Amino acid sequence: MKNMKRVLAALAAAAIALGLTACGGGGETSGTGNGEGEYDQVVYAYATFNNIPATEDLAPVQEAINEITREKIGVEVTLMPISVADYTSKVSLSLQGGEKIDVYQSLGNFNSCVASDMCYDISELIDEYGAGAKEVVGDNFLDACRVNGALYGIPTYKPYALTPMLIYREDIAQELGLDIDSIQSVNDITPLLEQVKSAYPNMTPLAPVQSGTIGLHMCMGDVDWLSDDYYNPVGVLLDNNTTVTDLYTSDVFKERAQLARTWHENDLVMKDAATTTTTAAEAMASGNYFGYIAAYSYPEEDTAASLQAQCGNYDIAAKILDDAFLSTGDINAVSWMIASTTDVPEAALAFLDLTYTDEDIINLLIYGIEGRDYVLNEDGTVSYPEGEDSTTVPYTAQLSCGTLGNFFKMYPTEGTNPESLAWEEAQNKEAETSVAMGFTFDSSSLKTQYTAVKNVISQYLPGLLCGSLDPDTELEKFEQALMDAGYQDILDAKQEQLDAWLAQQ
Amino acid sequence: MKKLLHPKAAKSSRASNTPLLLIALPGIIYLLINNYAPMLGIFLAFKDYSLIKGPFGSDWCGFQNFEFLFKTKDAFIMTRNTILYNLAFIIIGTAVAIFVAILMCELGERKRVKFYQAAMLLPNLLSWVVIGFIAYAFLNADTGFINNSFLAWLGLDPVSWYSEPGAWPAILIIVNLWKNIGYQSIIFMASISGIDKSLYEAAAMDGAGKLRQIRAITLPLLKPTVIMLTLMSIGRIFYSDFGLFYQVPQNSGALFATTQTIDTYVYRGLMELNDVGMSAAAGLYQSIVGFILVLIANKIVRKVDADNALF
Repeated sequence: MKNMKRVLAALAAAAIALGLTACGGGGETSGTGNGEGEYDQVVYAYATFNNIPATEDLAPVQEAINEITREKIGVEVTLMPISVADYTSKVSLSLQGGEKIDVYQSLGNFNSCVASDMCYDISELIDEYGAGAKEVVGDNFLDACRVNGALYGIPTYKPYALTPMLIYREDIAQELGLDIDSIQSVNDITPLLEQVKSAYPNMTPLAPVQSGTIGLHMCMGDVDWLSDDYYNPVGVLLDNNTTVTDLYTSDVFKERAQLARTWHENDLVMKDAATTTTTAAEAMASGNYFGYIAAYSYPEEDTAASLQAQCGNYDIAAKILDDAFLSTGDINAVSWMIASTTDVPEAALAFLDLTYTDEDIINLLIYGIEGRDYVLNEDGTVSYPEGEDSTTVPYTAQLSCGTLGNFFKMYPTEGTNPESLAWEEAQNKEAETSVAMGFTFDSSSLKTQYTAVKNVISQYLPGLLCGSLDPDTELEKFEQALMDAGYQDILDAKQEQLDAWLAQQ
Repeated sequence: MKKLLHPKAAKSSRASNTPLLLIALPGIIYLLINNYAPMLGIFLAFKDYSLIKGPFGSDWCGFQNFEFLFKTKDAFIMTRNTILYNLAFIIIGTAVAIFVAILMCELGERKRVKFYQAAMLLPNLLSWVVIGFIAYAFLNADTGFINNSFLAWLGLDPVSWYSEPGAWPAILIIVNLWKNIGYQSIIFMASISGIDKSLYEAAAMDGAGKLRQIRAITLPLLKPTVIMLTLMSIGRIFYSDFGLFYQVPQNSGALFATTQTIDTYVYRGLMELNDVGMSAAAGLYQSIVGFILVLIANKIVRKVDADNALF
């Protein structure tokens, strides 16, 4: 028996030693000096909303980019497109597993990337290696990626301001003579939805924009979510006040929850909105829905035109419900970061800089190779080669256009109104901004409370904002559960950090 | 038993076991690498894990990682749900599986048995995602089968199933039975067909009817199998079938009171925070309680029926 134990122990030790050396070996080969010569190797992981290209289709794009980067910054890049659905979990698992990723992006989770030590502090490097990007984005927006004075990323430069809109079926509106112009806020929609319901009893007037929300999140007025994403708000600033407030006891939240409840009880909204996995576009394409509420960064007509094809080619129009409002979270939601585990921070930042300033690199990333993946028209717009579309060309990441580097340096797609771009850039400058613009909340000391509080929120919030829970009875339980989970600790910490930040300004 | 063996005999038996051990070697190595080596990671449960500092360099933080499990009354709800559902699955699942197995064996005719068996086994091959959507087709509030055909036919009002926590214990148990019963009953069928046929012939000669035969022969002889399977399930009583509790309720928040289990709580909490230390803490908590439960269950079995205890 004793012998057996010894053998087992030896085996276990061998297995462990093997495991460790395997990891060590992997780490070494991903280093810089691996025979590729003098060029620093940078892995660029980006989320694609299109199909993942085949390796042999990706290679020419990568080579074309490398031709530029070798000459300009002495760097060779490996492109790593990841499907958007897996992106966040894949990147964090890869980084934890020691895989080489040098540049990656946040998709609404900038804060948790910082809290889990995934970002390299680029404060020292930005002026030397990221000057172009800094200039493009501007100091004001760049501050959105600062936490406790350290700079952890660069926001994507794109139309930031999201304007809440009602997207609806123009054909039905005209047929029933709906008075769309009467809509000033989300409250004014109800009579129109009722009209649709009585004319088409089999239709559901309002579709959810995605699982768990019918768009009322975006229609709460000027709310700064203070670094939390708006699906899980935890302590917010209302109406540009500097007191951290609990959204759920506010009047505006109660009103919206009541509104959702009325819609739900009168069959004006999809009954399973809180849980369905159907997206708004799918629902609209089925022909059984009149419209949905969502926030977009384009003008009304452009938004409607761009949605038509996804929504079953019905006649679609859009109506703005509220003004755009910019807070830190809108800016840093999609940010580009250097991995904390990188061995080539300078090279990584230098390449990242090119994705904001170099037109060729940006368009290679988005559209691929000219002639093979897209054709450049005489007016400077882009379309797919004859007989091809986004699903058949070898490489395209066109749907990721608002998430990669600099949106305004991309070739516009065919049919885009040039004036829209001007409108969008103007919105960026003119939209009302929060008093706490540039403040980022550091949640790392409150992980336990956050886990518990988010669990409570996902239990109540979708139901309250989709009408399946009655605010008269459930709101109170929600508050109590939040308090039990340590909600007040988070509010207090937020207020404290915000006060300290304000004092510095 | 061991003391009776002569030392020489023991030695020679070890020698004759060598080829067998060699055959098992790949399996043992696999087990060591897959199940034992990762156990080293237990210490991460007590660390404030930092990507930059790495697993060994991270700071110790005591029991801080365990706090989130017990922070709210969710801890009670999810522990209760996990244990009660598993108990229900063990008791109801075993009873129904034995019932089905006996019926199958009594059918006798091969072709029909094969057909039923295949039909019952089929759901077991489907993934939880698919089953989640089959359930959704039944339970959808607007277009679901139950609301539109069944309840409408009875003249009842439609129900929003996905915001009705009270109905879910029943729904989950039914869905779980539907998926797993074919597979479970196979094990019992195998044991039943291993029972000596002459026992039944003798009983029939003594005038015992079918029911009497089942009660006096089949059930007692199934006991060892039942005890072993139950013991094994009790070891996993602290683990819930993630797919069942996450996919089938469609991740609906309103249902957490009756569908939240430890695994779904940990998943929901950690997917957002992606904190290695807390995940390790949750894993450690589950393993320790699971281990204690196996020991207790085995002790009880040893008291009741010493021959059938695992150790």
